[in-house]
Amino acid sequence: MKKARSIKKPGVNIDMTPLVDVIMLLLTFFMLVATFKAESTEAIEVKLPESVVTDTTKLPEKDIMTLTITKAGDVFVDVDNYKVKEEVFGSSVGIGLYHPDSTSKSEYETSGGKINGKPFNRPVTILDKETFEKTLNDLRRALKSQTGGKSDFRIVLKGDLDAQYGVVEDLMDSFKTTRNTRFALVTDVKSSNPE
Amino acid sequence: MAGGGFDAPESGGGLHKQKKYKKGKKIGVRIDMTPMVDVIMLLLTFFILTTTLNTPQIMQINLPKGDQEDKIKVDMGNVLYIRVSENENVYFSSGLSDGSEAEPVKVSFIDMKKKIESLYNANPNLLILLKFDRKMKYSSMVDILDEINKAAIEKRYSFMKMEDADKEIVTKAGG
Repeated sequence: MKKARSIKKPGVNIDMTPLVDVIMLLLTFFMLVATFKAESTEAIEVKLPESVVTDTTKLPEKDIMTLTITKAGDVFVDVDNYKVKEEVFGSSVGIGLYHPDSTSKSEYETSGGKINGKPFNRPVTILDKETFEKTLNDLRRALKSQTGGKSDFRIVLKGDLDAQYGVVEDLMDSFKTTRNTRFALVTDVKSSNPE
Repeated sequence: MAGGGFDAPESGGGLHKQKKYKKGKKIGVRIDMTPMVDVIMLLLTFFILTTTLNTPQIMQINLPKGDQEDKIKVDMGNVLYIRVSENENVYFSSGLSDGSEAEPVKVSFIDMKKKIESLYNANPNLLILLKFDRKMKYSSMVDILDEINKAAIEKRYSFMKMEDADKEIVTKAGG
């Protein structure tokens, strides 16, 4: 009886090897993507403000110029094209620093190369209002020539929650004079909508 | 014939037996992969979530072109000033057709959207002029723009410098 029963139960033995292979492949893919992203944009950490999704525009993936505003009011100018960076900043990992507020000092300069209290290793070019506006134009031109005139140059503003509005106002002034009248603010998606 | 026929398979069977014996010497290890798969799946979901979760959204802003020629003349009656003080109090004041403007009214952040909508319904040509104090936090600017974007109106707003006169108006109204 017992024997008969055990024979009736179909003992299924699934070979998991192909499954494991595929999953391993996916895993390595995601791991590589995740680490690669973090490396290329060596983090200037900012806490983004939150906003409710109002339109479906997502951040464009390339040809963007990121202006990161830190808590201390330093603005870091970065583009996602390393060739353009080489042309404008003289290094493929270079970054520009602009401190628009004349009433305070740049954190990077006063603390000996720190951002938010953490050391920052990328080569920094320090800009004033005039050179900042020139850099805006240079970056735009360099990006255009690198991409064969196809690039849709976008300015993206990543401001820290606690940054002062005055910095944004100064940047908007510079955008106006350099005729970059379209820009975008990066925000985090608001998790709960209190309505 | 029959004997030979019988013999042959026996010898074959003997060979088979020998093979089996050989095979038995090799240690057949069967690894249970289930726990490994579990762990890998966990890692996989972790990486998928972390990579897709931080896709931020953007808030598009168009500034007016800085040319001197295309300055637009606006009827003051259509203008709504939104002034925000250093202490992040929001004041609304509507422009009047004769060029002056009404007394500023303090508006709480929660009522902002409704107020804007009702003003827009009363006057569909509403143009919002934003005057933010320089010392205001950037996050409040995003919050206010977000409220305007949330309101079901045609978005027409622009940024203006907060002059000393504006600061005076705000401090008079309560700071």
